[in-house]
Amino acid sequence: MNLNRNQPSPGKLLQWFNPLGRKLSFSGFTLNRVSALGLTLYLYLHLIVLSLLAQGPNAYDNFLKLIHNPWFMFGEWLVVAAGLIHGLNGLRIALTSLGIVVPQQKQMFVFLMVIAVIGSLIFAIRMYTTF
Amino acid sequence: MSMTKWTITIQVYRQKGEALPHYDEFKLEVDPDEYVLDGVERIWAFNDRTVCFRHACHHSTCGACGMRVNGVEKLTCITPIREVTQNGGKIKIEPLRNFPVISDLVVDMGSLYSNMERVGAQSVLPVTEAEIERPLRSWPKEDSQYIRLSDCIECGLCISACPISTTSETYLGPAVLAGAQQKGVRLDPNLLRLVDCEDGPWRCHSAFECTAVCPSFVDPARRIMLLRQQIVLERLTRLFRSEPKKNTVKEANR
Amino acid sequence: MTQAPKSISASTPKSGENSWLWLLKLVTGPFIIIFMLVHFIVNHAIASSGLLNYSDILTYYTIWVVPVMEIIFLGLVVSHSLLGLRSIIIDLHPSRGVLAVISWLFLIIGVSAFVYGTWLITVIVSLRVTL
Repeated sequence: MNLNRNQPSPGKLLQWFNPLGRKLSFSGFTLNRVSALGLTLYLYLHLIVLSLLAQGPNAYDNFLKLIHNPWFMFGEWLVVAAGLIHGLNGLRIALTSLGIVVPQQKQMFVFLMVIAVIGSLIFAIRMYTTF
Repeated sequence: MSMTKWTITIQVYRQKGEALPHYDEFKLEVDPDEYVLDGVERIWAFNDRTVCFRHACHHSTCGACGMRVNGVEKLTCITPIREVTQNGGKIKIEPLRNFPVISDLVVDMGSLYSNMERVGAQSVLPVTEAEIERPLRSWPKEDSQYIRLSDCIECGLCISACPISTTSETYLGPAVLAGAQQKGVRLDPNLLRLVDCEDGPWRCHSAFECTAVCPSFVDPARRIMLLRQQIVLERLTRLFRSEPKKNTVKEANR
Repeated sequence: MTQAPKSISASTPKSGENSWLWLLKLVTGPFIIIFMLVHFIVNHAIASSGLLNYSDILTYYTIWVVPVMEIIFLGLVVSHSLLGLRSIIIDLHPSRGVLAVISWLFLIIGVSAFVYGTWLITVIVSLRVTL
């Protein structure tokens, strides 16, 4: 008798990102996970890029010319959006983990994500109008 | 029950032995106010006697009839057909996730029952300790002689819905952690060691799917948060405690 | 005959994650939000040119509180990100051996990133001093 199907398996990690049949808070879990991975990648890239500062003004200022590229700007916007989502959702997780506002966690999630969207929009407008 | 009749298609997950799983479709005429379990029973009675499924009380007390209906965990004995489809529509019925399938819609719940026993989950509580919807502000002390069945019916819906239970086979899961919270880590030193580990409440990432699917007001997500509080407080207390740690129940009872 | 259910063993110590590591991740989160807000607002909204110029960055780092703040921020972010990443990996139920390797690897990466970042900050501070 094959009892191996339907059992937990690390190979099913794509289920973390499958919203079918799931409630709203599950999106919070998925968003937190995706933003965490993106921000971690950005953190170490950021550290590497900042090493250009130690190489003198030409190296760094030449790199700064790159960030005016639209794709770079989109990437920067993604980082800010991910930071807002992860930070604000993380606040919800921190509060509920301490047993605070657990019954209202869904409403809190919606409220905080609206703030994250507004913040991302403001940043996008400021970034694209400044450059 | 209404006199209305719907014609619906029920798609049932089938898996026997080593064969690959597949879905069988059955067209039925049903009363939309009947329950999904009634539909499954009718399939077994009149269409295919080899369909395997679990059922017992038919009134959400035993937890036996937990299945996935259109991808969502439900107790099929209290899920009306009209809630999950419409006339001419389709219902997809699958076994619970994260448990090995024995046959068709029947899964091996042994790990859940075993873990519930390990954490000492209580099946009955004094009525004054039970948390129910709209509890009385204070229970008269004399009422503590009365006992009540614990809310958790060990249906396994929460474990099926939990995204971490999908990838980690040793994660205790929402039902077990809720049971541990109800027991209380302070009362059992062994329990603290069992739950304060990689398979305990630290695996929970606040998806809240368990609470969303729980049919019995256990609110396992909230209980996991409370269990975390219990563990952290107990660890902090032990850090500053002057007497030596008591690591076993025997030592604690000395 | 069904397989024997996988039940937990009270005798096998399992300490891949515990209350202390979880608390550390929880506590660093809100501090990161505070430092991130300060880092972002000061660096890109208050500092001259939004720090998009090599010499402005060097000038900015002569204010003593800036390198101190950035070093603390670096420590918080590195520890939070690596604890979080490790937590995601534990969700995939790796073997004890694999988890031990990953834990050591993350410890090395974290310490290296923190040391490297601190070194970079001191280099930037010293560059302005020598100019």
